[in-house]
Amino acid sequence: MTRYSQIAGEGRDASDLPVWRSADTLDLAYIGYGLLIVALVLVSYVLGVFNWLPHDPEQIRFDLLNAPPGSAGHLLGTDFLGRDILSRLIVAIQAYFLPGLVAIVISLMVGTTLGALAGYRGGEVEVLVTYVNNLVDSFPRLVLILLVIAAFKADIYYIMIIVGVTGVPVVASLVAGKIAFLRQKHFIEAALVLGLPSHVIVLKHILWYHCGPLLVIRATIGMGEAILIETSLSYLGFGVQEPMPSWGNMVQAGANYFFQGKFWPSTAPALAILLTILGFHLLGDGLNSILEDRGGK
Amino acid sequence: MTGAPLLEIENLRTYFYARSKQAFIRAVDGVTLSIARGETLGVVGESGSGKSVTALSITGLVSAGPGVISGTIAFRADGVEHNLLQDLEQYVRLKERDGRIVEVSKDEPGWRKAVERLMAPVRGKEIAMIFQSPKSALNPFARVGDQITEAIRLHTRAKNPGEAKERALHWLERVKIDSPRLRFDNHPYGLSGGMCQRAVIAMALASEPSLLIADEPTTGLDATIQSEIVGLLAELKAEFGIATLLISHDIRAISRLADNVAVMYGGTVVEHGPAPDVLAPGFAPKHPYTTALLASIPSVQNVRDKGYLTVVEGEVPDAVDLPRGCRFYARCNRVTDDIRDKCAHHEPELKEVTPGHHVRCWLSAE
Amino acid sequence: MKLSALRPVTLVLSRELALTALLLLGVSFVVFVILFLAPGDPFSVLLEGQMPSHEARAGVREALGVPRTWYVQYVSWLGNLLRGNFGTSIRTGLPVFGEIVRVGLSTLYLTLGSMLVTLLIAVPIALHSSVRGATPLNRPFTLLAYLVSSLPVFWLGYVAIYLFSHKLGVFPLVSAASASADRAWLYSLLPICVLGIGNGTVSEVVRYLREELSRVMAEDYIRTARAKGASVWRHAFKEGLLIPMTEIIASKIPFILGGAVIVEQVFNWPGMGRMAWQAAQDRDFPAIMGIVMIAATLVRLGSLLQRVVYVAVNPRASKQRRGAGWAE
Repeated sequence: MTRYSQIAGEGRDASDLPVWRSADTLDLAYIGYGLLIVALVLVSYVLGVFNWLPHDPEQIRFDLLNAPPGSAGHLLGTDFLGRDILSRLIVAIQAYFLPGLVAIVISLMVGTTLGALAGYRGGEVEVLVTYVNNLVDSFPRLVLILLVIAAFKADIYYIMIIVGVTGVPVVASLVAGKIAFLRQKHFIEAALVLGLPSHVIVLKHILWYHCGPLLVIRATIGMGEAILIETSLSYLGFGVQEPMPSWGNMVQAGANYFFQGKFWPSTAPALAILLTILGFHLLGDGLNSILEDRGGK
Repeated sequence: MTGAPLLEIENLRTYFYARSKQAFIRAVDGVTLSIARGETLGVVGESGSGKSVTALSITGLVSAGPGVISGTIAFRADGVEHNLLQDLEQYVRLKERDGRIVEVSKDEPGWRKAVERLMAPVRGKEIAMIFQSPKSALNPFARVGDQITEAIRLHTRAKNPGEAKERALHWLERVKIDSPRLRFDNHPYGLSGGMCQRAVIAMALASEPSLLIADEPTTGLDATIQSEIVGLLAELKAEFGIATLLISHDIRAISRLADNVAVMYGGTVVEHGPAPDVLAPGFAPKHPYTTALLASIPSVQNVRDKGYLTVVEGEVPDAVDLPRGCRFYARCNRVTDDIRDKCAHHEPELKEVTPGHHVRCWLSAE
Repeated sequence: MKLSALRPVTLVLSRELALTALLLLGVSFVVFVILFLAPGDPFSVLLEGQMPSHEARAGVREALGVPRTWYVQYVSWLGNLLRGNFGTSIRTGLPVFGEIVRVGLSTLYLTLGSMLVTLLIAVPIALHSSVRGATPLNRPFTLLAYLVSSLPVFWLGYVAIYLFSHKLGVFPLVSAASASADRAWLYSLLPICVLGIGNGTVSEVVRYLREELSRVMAEDYIRTARAKGASVWRHAFKEGLLIPMTEIIASKIPFILGGAVIVEQVFNWPGMGRMAWQAAQDRDFPAIMGIVMIAATLVRLGSLLQRVVYVAVNPRASKQRRGAGWAE
């Protein structure tokens, strides 16, 4: 049964309700969950910076190897060196946060610039940008990173630059697509007729008013991608190196004990990855459906 | 016009839901209409009056929710009576307050399944449709001829491909597409708007339906093409006499083709009668809306009489917040003090003023 | 098919082919620049193999007449690539090209299989939600797709090995290389499924297919098809399913290849991914360079194939339309 009900108070003016009143409850739940995850990531970052942790993340205890969750004050148990998993999970955000921001900033800045150029100028500029997009898209991201690692012995920041660059085409396409859409609606002609200069139209009316939500969504997804890439590289042995924890090298290290029936040292970070990426995905999806698809429903 | 009508719609309601306003859009709100065999019924009204939604409701093609929520549609073809909204009640629960529907619960999947079952023997076979903007109505990925052949093979006895193709070519010729053999192999993108509409008409007629629904068949075409299409429809009417529901806001097309005319306003029929009566500007008992609508048509007669064109003052009522009384009250220029109170608060009935001519107005109810 | 209908198609395809060549040229240039900038002069390695000392290298350069300017180096390197001469692997001493061809097939098998798995999961979910509208199963399915896409693939691999090989013993725990021929396909099922589920693209594939299908279902011509009592699927298939499916899969090939690197590592699968990993470990420039070139070529071929399908089914294709990249 689908229920449609009219809100009380007939005869009121038929103006639109605020976004959250008319939004799907589930979309709001998605956004709520996503925001919770974002908040947790931020809080973990701050906790890590000031070293406010339940245990010392690098304290080794040979009497407590691979201890199960809950034992001796270790909420999520300990790893193969008896180190507190929860503390290491929190500290591991350090490995992602700034490098992830680097990746996001690169892909948003370069992507927006290229997208705006392509969408607004059109013609040969668009052809060129499309070519660059396709060129970057030709490289499997992970394989390209392996090449760069081989060439430069790259650390996490180099890797995140590659992640940022390979994230450019998506952003550029989104922005260019949005501008194409606005052009179709004669939005740009209207602005030109009003005598607005190009930079005002592009910066204020197109990017600020119309691409804002889109870029925010992209940024959250970008952080998710940074985490996933680091995880994969850690597994391959090229990510953040021990003893500095990252979720990726924690899963990797814990996985060695998987077949001994000790799941939690790898499952705890794997779940952290799962829940975080899921949060970013759902936040993007929820924001998308209430901010972007609004006209379509 | 003997016996029971071919199509009888009673008190049809089709609502949509504006999520951002949390309110219903009463697109069709209590429409009653009937079409006899061989009759062409013209439906006129401004955009947003519910004409097209009525047509889509008949063939179960309303896709947005909640869609059709109450009413009956009886369709009699081949001696079989179909109730196209049979068992609708079991999928829909309505909650009313102050005589207004304030909540609709609808089992959409169940309803859709039931509609598809009810429509299977009827849609395309007995009731064929012609749509506006013919270029987008044809499948851009298939050849024009194949789309017509498909209808023929689905609904007529010509099942084998060769025979069906011959029939399709016959229909293409019949709707006066030049060099039909060439056009048969064309994809729609290579055809002009007028040719596409001819192809759509051929496709509709090819299944030999008993009712043709033409939903704004001339909208989106050039003016000269419009009159060509109207001319074609008139010829086909004279030749085949298929009962037709012709929806248009082009009153000239309606006056040329229709036997009877229904005037829709705000989701309901406000006047219904023989075309000459309804469309004659001077004819006495008439809904004020029809009068205003007729006065706004750019015709020689109008311009000669007054020297200018009038407009219907005001706006089409917001289907979200329809007035309680007469839907036309806010724009009506013929309200008198005697009936003002009734007009504002009570909706008039559709009342027979002369035989076969119904008007929904307190002026005529006196 | 009429000849007249074929001509614009060949025209479009030859343009696509030219574009593919142009993009691969760009790819080779990017790879060249990375290697050119890399410390340790990988080019002396690439061009001449291992040489003991700088003087010796310089001497060989002189003797072979290898020029110093970068563009001449690029052209001679590109010439070698075009002749299938990707250099010699530092680690094994074998020609890289032959080695890639040998392991490439098993990677192709893995990736194609996993694409099929991804589609087998994503298509039903997308169909269900776009055709049936809002059903109770709609949201859980979508959520499931998101969950699956957020999993780190190697952890999924471990869980799968633990469950199916260790506990249930459904699949053998040996590598494909040592598995007896008749059970090799059974062994390969597990990595294929893991990569198909865990390559991180399921949710995007679902979303793209659902959006495209819903858009097409709302098209006027689908309404016409329904109004004439014809099968909606017959009419919606090309634009609503076939085209978006090839588009999204072609655009996800890089991700699937990236996932293959991980999955091959987890399952000890002798493919290009493992070779890439090994090459990155050893700084085996000729090998990793060859793999990047081949992987990029596969990506471009995938796009080319997608364009072929698009042009073949779409009579309007001679009018240029933007590819899958713009729809994300």
